[in-house]
Amino acid sequence: MEIYLPIAEMSVHWLVILGMGGAIGFLSGLFGVGGGFLLTPLLIFYGIPSVVAVATTSSHVTASSISGAIAQWRKRALDIKMGLVMAAGGLAGTTFGVWLFAWMRRQGQMDLVVSASYVILLGTVGTLMLRESLATLRAARSGRPASGQRSSHHSWIHGLPLKTRFRESRLYISVIPPVVIGFIVGTLSAIMGIGGGFVIVPAMIYILRMPTNVVMGTSLFQIIIVAAATTVLQATTNYSVDIVLAALLIIGGVIGAQFGVQVGARLRGEQLRLLLALLVLAVGIRLLFGLVLPPDDLYTLALSP
Amino acid sequence: MRAIAAITAILLAAAPAAATENLVAGLSQDTVEITSNYTGTDIVVFGAIEQAEAGGNDVVVVLRGPDADMIVRKKDSVAGIWINRDQARLYGMPSYYYIASSKPLAKIADHDALQRYAIGLSNLAPERISSHHDPKPFIAALVRHEQQAGLYGESATGVEFLSPTLFRAHVPVPASVPRGQYNAEVYLFRGGTIMSAQSTPLFIDQTGLERRLFEAAHSSPLLYGLSTVLMGILMGWLSSVVFRRNA
Repeated sequence: MEIYLPIAEMSVHWLVILGMGGAIGFLSGLFGVGGGFLLTPLLIFYGIPSVVAVATTSSHVTASSISGAIAQWRKRALDIKMGLVMAAGGLAGTTFGVWLFAWMRRQGQMDLVVSASYVILLGTVGTLMLRESLATLRAARSGRPASGQRSSHHSWIHGLPLKTRFRESRLYISVIPPVVIGFIVGTLSAIMGIGGGFVIVPAMIYILRMPTNVVMGTSLFQIIIVAAATTVLQATTNYSVDIVLAALLIIGGVIGAQFGVQVGARLRGEQLRLLLALLVLAVGIRLLFGLVLPPDDLYTLALSP
Repeated sequence: MRAIAAITAILLAAAPAAATENLVAGLSQDTVEITSNYTGTDIVVFGAIEQAEAGGNDVVVVLRGPDADMIVRKKDSVAGIWINRDQARLYGMPSYYYIASSKPLAKIADHDALQRYAIGLSNLAPERISSHHDPKPFIAALVRHEQQAGLYGESATGVEFLSPTLFRAHVPVPASVPRGQYNAEVYLFRGGTIMSAQSTPLFIDQTGLERRLFEAAHSSPLLYGLSTVLMGILMGWLSSVVFRRNA
């Protein structure tokens, strides 16, 4: 059965959208990422106008992160204080990002900037995660204990002021790094239409050195706040949130997320990171092809703003 | 307004010849309502030629959507990466254009006449162009893109004659059409010139729940955005309650 979307002004098959939401929700529950970096390109590929796809994805990210976060909260795998500190930076970042988004659209280079940021980000993050998880897996197989992850070596981070204690993360560090990471991810999420989990998760593990078990819950928690704010911001500035599309994606997403959390509980942390790394790299390589291969049609069409 | 002006101009030009000719045309419906299960429809444009001379009559039917302003950008390879370089702003191109004729346009009138009347996909021209480059390839690219999107189309056999004087054409209105006032234009050709023309408006709009949601998104966007977020939060929470019971 086809359903008409009032804001996208087109009709879609509800099962296709429900399935997309479910698949992305599953990954969201599995890896603790919002899944926006997959959903936005998927929706655009299906024919949803990119402005609507970007804006509506953030409402889907909110919902699928909620059910994931509640599941993690029950396992006490969530650092609320850390989440709030990062979200404060994130909200400032989103506001800046929405402004930047509008400016780049006027310059006509939006597509290039979005694709290039995806390629650089996904490529870097994916490669780092792949190397790390492979090294950990190899170490585990050869019988040696995986070491180095929680080594409390003193980096520049420990020299920063405004130190505070994050109890659930068993950290005593400055609030500056989490706020800055939140700001950067918030900016990226407004430009790229993503929650930013695939940046936050590695940043928490490698820069903040948070224990892996609280990383999932905390990243989901901060994504909820930023994605909810982005949805409202997109609705008030671009009128581009499609509530019917959002409802379909969310129904699929929340169900998928529950299965994702259950499967994720049975896999080991480094296995999860290996899978996420491969997924992130695959999307990055696909987008890189789009930038360097000659396009089918040199001309593109857009409504004049 | 523009379409009506064009038709008036054509009629004035054709007036002496068209004195004895009379064209009557109508639509199967004067409004198309987009509802939640709208997947596109067909409207029927029908009509009759009164006091027709035997043979030699050709009919062209055009459905034209509200005007839109578009930007067409051309990609260029710079240091191995394809980026947007040249661009053209085309003002006042139709957002929807479908043309049906009783035989191929080239056999109805010569190229110059069609261009003068601005009839046919290859003769669409914007009201105003803002570009530093030759606009022709940009206009052609726009037409190509809109054809792929199903918003521009043509059928060289779309107008069928049921009798020497009665004709009928099916015009598709796909689900992706923009809302607004459309004009169904009917042209009667003989010997390569327009003898008579008629324009009938068609309104395409959302109704029911779709209409209310669309209006809410524009009239109270903050409330609309907050409702969307609240819906997401409720659904997320609900699912974790349901799944906890089952687990």
